[in-house]
Amino acid sequence: MSSRESILKEIADRRLRRAPEPEPYHAPLETSDPVAMFAERAAWAQTQVKILDRMADVPAAIAELLRAKNMAASVHLPSDAELNALPWGNTLTVKTEPPGPDDTAVAIAPFAIAETGTLAYAARANSPASWHFRPGFEIAVLHANSVLPQMEDVLARIKQTMGPIPHTINFVTGPSRTGDIEQTLELGAHGPKALAVLIVRG
Amino acid sequence: MNLDPTAFKSAAHDAMGNESLRVALARMKTHFVVGRLMAVNRFGDFEAMREAGKAIRDYAIGSLDTLLERFEESVTARGGHVHWARDAAEARAIILSILREAGAKSVTKGKSMVSEEIGLNPHLVANGITPVETDLGEYIIQLRDEPPSHIIGPALHLSKEQVADTFRAAHTTLDAERPLGERQQLVAEARRVLRAQFEGADAGITGANFLAADEGAAVIVTNEGNGDLTRLLPNTHIVLTGIEKVVRDLGDVSVLLRLLTRSATGQNISTYVSVMTAPMGRAGDGPKNFHVVLLDNGRSKLIGTEAQDVLRCIRCAACLGHCPIYGAVGGHAYGATYSGPIGAALNPNLLGIKEASHHANASTFCGRCAEICPVKIPLPKIMRYWRAREYADGLAPKAAVLGLSAWAFLAKRPALYRLATALAVRILKALSGRRGAVRSLPLMGGWFLVRDFPAPSGKTFHELWKAQS
Repeated sequence: MSSRESILKEIADRRLRRAPEPEPYHAPLETSDPVAMFAERAAWAQTQVKILDRMADVPAAIAELLRAKNMAASVHLPSDAELNALPWGNTLTVKTEPPGPDDTAVAIAPFAIAETGTLAYAARANSPASWHFRPGFEIAVLHANSVLPQMEDVLARIKQTMGPIPHTINFVTGPSRTGDIEQTLELGAHGPKALAVLIVRG
Repeated sequence: MNLDPTAFKSAAHDAMGNESLRVALARMKTHFVVGRLMAVNRFGDFEAMREAGKAIRDYAIGSLDTLLERFEESVTARGGHVHWARDAAEARAIILSILREAGAKSVTKGKSMVSEEIGLNPHLVANGITPVETDLGEYIIQLRDEPPSHIIGPALHLSKEQVADTFRAAHTTLDAERPLGERQQLVAEARRVLRAQFEGADAGITGANFLAADEGAAVIVTNEGNGDLTRLLPNTHIVLTGIEKVVRDLGDVSVLLRLLTRSATGQNISTYVSVMTAPMGRAGDGPKNFHVVLLDNGRSKLIGTEAQDVLRCIRCAACLGHCPIYGAVGGHAYGATYSGPIGAALNPNLLGIKEASHHANASTFCGRCAEICPVKIPLPKIMRYWRAREYADGLAPKAAVLGLSAWAFLAKRPALYRLATALAVRILKALSGRRGAVRSLPLMGGWFLVRDFPAPSGKTFHELWKAQS
């Protein structure tokens, strides 16, 4: 008997207490304004949030974020058509190779969760999953109408719109952190040391 | 690294005399315990969600065979591979053969208790493969050749000075004079050193917090992002996890996540929650090969027993932080992968009733663990079950059996019992003298070292009751 058969047989031979299939549970959440809730709760997790009127304002907002942090005016962009179409101008150097641990990377977050202030990324050819973990500073661009109330809503939307779910879905809430030394929070463990979200209303 | 659960008593004794450990354990009260309480209160009706989580896990354990088959089918359909391991040796062999086939020499690892359970790292090293733990806490204890002392805070027994010493001893190519006095400097150094390891790794091994059968997904939570770099940068990703981790679908996972992170660290959600279903295919980046190793290692034998409820566990470690025993002796005293109340409930099955006997007995039965468990595992009841099994199998210590037999003899004979207790309270009263407290008794030197025993009134409850009515 293979290990597979032997394990499944062991389980089936036991007095399995078949429990009734539970009804789906809906975690309570009251929100009339998901975007405001997202912004508030993202800030709880040390995410910097800015609200913009138009996509065309994104490059200038990024340049300002980098100036405020005294970081190089340089961003890594994946080969995403929407990002590449933005007026990057001459103030920012645009790079296309994968970002290093002190670089800044920009990504479009296709969805976000209001309940927890969480960005949701689906791995695709124009949205490499590792880019959310490689850079020192990640700047996410988020369309206001992509903010959904809960994780369940995001998962349902991904299944509706993407066919088979992508090989990796990354939910990101704030910059990387660790409490492994003396149970005290320090930011910037392996992933980004800082995270900013530009919410575009238009 | 030597794990000996039978040495619990002497190890616990030593641990209680360890001043730096005492400082480290005292931190849990303000961090884990208060953090959890605040997160639970912020949420609102946490109780209803605990019930929902319990129902999800009970359903999953009751349908374990069908859910595992469904999970396997879903993973296979997306181009991944599922492997089944009856025990630790099989799991080690499966992983070694996957790594050999991939030609892997260097392997990064995300945090996995199952990897500790099967002793994976020593096995890889013995076979010429270098495993590198990438969770900061796991990395620190790997450098120190220690087991984790806590499920979610493997290095919480250490001070930042001890970590600095460890880094100086390990990172010998760095400037010996560099400052490492601040936690942030230690974190930054680990980030730098480990990034090179991520970039050079041939394979990555992570655990799974949950498996979703319908989607064929393994879900991990991390705060550091190390699990994701472990999955995404190498060519091969292996998920190693226990068969009991499977639930119906990602909807169930969403509910359990809310319970897990609040109970574990007091976060509404972990920084990173990653749903991993397949190799990368043509999309972006990610591993070319995706394997899931499902480990039984005695889990299936718990089904149908009084200890079955322990399979609901989602490894949040809240029971450790709330346990007076764990809080006094820490994790290493247990001499086992799993410590605290959940260790006491798991280890007799995993290691043997005789071997882990001290664990099931190391409890005051205060019940806090069951009170805060997010999936309502009756941990004291399960410890009692193991104690009963120990007794039934004739494995209980002779002194305990003798003492309990003597007590049972008395308790079953009311007249004798009343006589004995009446005698005892009078002797104790006489011994206390005018101080109103007993200062010592034979064979109880340890107990009286730091306490007095308040003097009884000289009458038993029975006598007082009779006088009243």
